[in-house]
Amino acid sequence: MADETYLSDDLLRQLMSVGEVDLLVGILSHSSANTMRAAARSIENSLQQNFVRQRVAIISVDGGAVEDAASEDSVDPQTEGIAFSKGITSLRTIHRITAGFNSAPSAGLALRTILASSDLLRAKACAVVSPATSSTSPDWIANLLRPAFRDSFDFVAPMYSRHKFQGLLARNLLYPMTRALFGRRIRELYSDEWGFSNRLGAYCLTQDVWHEEPIRTRPEAWMGISAMTGPDFRCCQVFLGEKPQPPAGSGPDIVEALRQTVGSLFWCLETHQSVWLGRNGSEPVATIGPDHAVSAEPMDLDRARMFEMFQSGVKQLEPILHTILSSETHTNIQTVATLDQQTFRFGTDLWVKILYDFASAYHHSVINRDHLVQALVPLYRGKIYSFLMEHSDSSPGDMEAEGENLCLEFERQKPYLIEKWKAGVEVKS
Amino acid sequence: MKDTIVQGLEQAYYNLVHMIAEFLPRFVVMLVIILVGLLVAYVIRYILRALLRLTRLDRVSEDAGASRVLRMAALPSMTELLSRSIFWITWIGFILVGVSILGVAGLQEQISRLFRFLPEIFIAMLILFLGLILANFLSRAALLASVNAGQRSPKLLSWSIRFVIWMLAISMALEELGLARQTVIAAFSIVFGASMLGLAIAFGLGGQDLARRALERHLGDSEKEKYKEPQPL
Repeated sequence: MADETYLSDDLLRQLMSVGEVDLLVGILSHSSANTMRAAARSIENSLQQNFVRQRVAIISVDGGAVEDAASEDSVDPQTEGIAFSKGITSLRTIHRITAGFNSAPSAGLALRTILASSDLLRAKACAVVSPATSSTSPDWIANLLRPAFRDSFDFVAPMYSRHKFQGLLARNLLYPMTRALFGRRIRELYSDEWGFSNRLGAYCLTQDVWHEEPIRTRPEAWMGISAMTGPDFRCCQVFLGEKPQPPAGSGPDIVEALRQTVGSLFWCLETHQSVWLGRNGSEPVATIGPDHAVSAEPMDLDRARMFEMFQSGVKQLEPILHTILSSETHTNIQTVATLDQQTFRFGTDLWVKILYDFASAYHHSVINRDHLVQALVPLYRGKIYSFLMEHSDSSPGDMEAEGENLCLEFERQKPYLIEKWKAGVEVKS
Repeated sequence: MKDTIVQGLEQAYYNLVHMIAEFLPRFVVMLVIILVGLLVAYVIRYILRALLRLTRLDRVSEDAGASRVLRMAALPSMTELLSRSIFWITWIGFILVGVSILGVAGLQEQISRLFRFLPEIFIAMLILFLGLILANFLSRAALLASVNAGQRSPKLLSWSIRFVIWMLAISMALEELGLARQTVIAAFSIVFGASMLGLAIAFGLGGQDLARRALERHLGDSEKEKYKEPQPL
C-alpha cells in the first residue's frame, strides 16, 4: 500500500470518490495549460474509442488543466475528427483527478503519486504520458495500455520513428549499454511515455528509492530497469509512430541530458548490481509494430564546433580524465583527439572502454559523481561528431547494422567492466 | 693593561671552551634523539601501515564515504594519510624532546608555548583542509561547466576560483593562529579587492565586446549564439 504522507487530503478524497478503475492514465504535467488540454483530449478520445467498457481515470499531477479540457470551446479539429470517426464512445464516465502541489513536483514525486493513485484505485494497467510530447495521439495511449491490460505485460516501452540524427544518446550509449548489462533489448528507456501493470507499479512503489536524486529527476528508466531485473516481469516495446523534434531550447541540453540519463543509468548499475553482474548476452523482448524506423531529412548541425569542443575538453580536462580512465584508454583518447576533422574516427572499442571506465569510476566514487558524469560530455561530443561523419550518407539499414555492432561490442567487453567493478580503487598520483 | 686584556681573553676563551664542552654532548644527545626518533617513526609507520592494510581500513573508509572526501582534496588513501600523520607526529615529538635537551632557556619557553598552541594549530589545519576540499570541488565544477559550455580559458576561471578560496582559507587559518592578524586582514583585503577590481576593469574596458556578448547571451535572445547540435533524447 502506498505511503500516504505525500498524498494530499484533496487527492485522497478524489480517489475515494472514484473507487476502483481498470485503467489509469497519468499526465506528468510540466507544460502550459494548452499542451495539457491537447494531451488530455487525446487521452479521452483514446479511452472513449478503445476502452469502451472499462472503468478509466486520468490523473494530472501538478496542474488543474485536465478538468477544463473537456469543456474547452476551442476543439482541436484533428483530435475531434478522430474522436468521432468510429461512432462509438465510452459507456462509462471518465474520471478526472488532479493532484495539486504547491510548487512543481519533481518527476519522481509525480510518478510516485501516479503509482500510489494506481495502487489505491486498483488499476490493472497504467500509462504515463507527458504533455511535452506535442504529438501524443489517441493511438499512442491505447498502444501503451493494451499490452499491459490485455496481454499481461508488466512494462511497455515505446518505440518511435525518428530522424537518423535524433536520439543519438539513446542510440550510442543508453540502449547498447543497458542492453549489454541488463540483458534485455529495450530501445527507449528514457522516454516521456510508457505503460506498466499494477504488479510492476506496486513493486516499484514499495522500493525505498524515492528520495534518491536520480529517481527524483528521471524515474522512468529506473522503472524499466526494475522490470528487467525484478521478479518475473514481462517487458515489451510498442511502436508509437513519429517522435517529433522538440522545439529548439525546450528539451534539456546535452550536459543536462547526460547528467540526468547517464547519472541515472550509473546509479541503476549500483542498485541492481546483484542482477547484472551475473547476466550474459541479451535477449530480445516482444515488439509490437515495426522494430525501428528512421527518416533522413537534411539537418543543420554545427559539426566543426562539436569537434572543437571535444578536442578542447580532452585537453582541458586532462587531470580529471586521468583520474577516471585507465592509463591505456586515456592515452588512446588523447591520441585520437590530435587527429584532424577529416581523419578523426571514434572507434567503438574505445567508446565502450571509456564508458565502462566511467561506470567503474562512478561505482568507486573516484571523484564527485556529478562531476564524473559531466566529464563525459566532451567525449560524447567526440563520439557524436564521429557518428555524424560516418553516417552522413548511410541508409537506415547501414545505421542499424552499425548500431548492432556497437551493442555487441558492449556485450563483448562486459567482463572488462565486471573486473574493474569488483577491483579496489586504483589511487593515482 | 696588557695583563688585563690577556686575562679577559683567557676568560673568554675559557668560557667558550666551557660552553662548547657543555653544549656539544647535549647537541650530540639531541642528534641521537632525533635520529632515534626518525627510526622509531619509520618503524611505527611501517607497522601501522601493515596493520591498517590488514584491517582493510581503506575499504571501510570507502564505504563510509571518507575516501571520497580525501580524493576530492587530492589526498592519499586513509591508510597512507594516517600512517604518514603518525610518522610526523612521532618524529616531531622526538625533535622537540631533543631540542629541549639543549637547555636553551628561550627555546624551552618556545616549545612549551608551542604545546599550548596546539589546539589553534589543529583548528587552523582543519580550516586549511576544508578550504582545500572546497577549492578543489568548486574549481573542478567551474572547469567542467566552462569546458562543457565551450567557453574560452576555462582553466583560468578554475584557477581563479581555487586561488580565491585558498587565499580565504589561508587568511582564516592565520587569523586563527593569531599571526600578524592586522597584516593578514589588510593583505587579504588588498589582494582580493585588487583582483576583483582588476578583473572588473579588464572585463569592462579590455573586453567590452566580450562583456556585451555575455550580457546579450544572458539577458537577450539566447538562441542566437547557441550552436546547433543534435537533440540527445
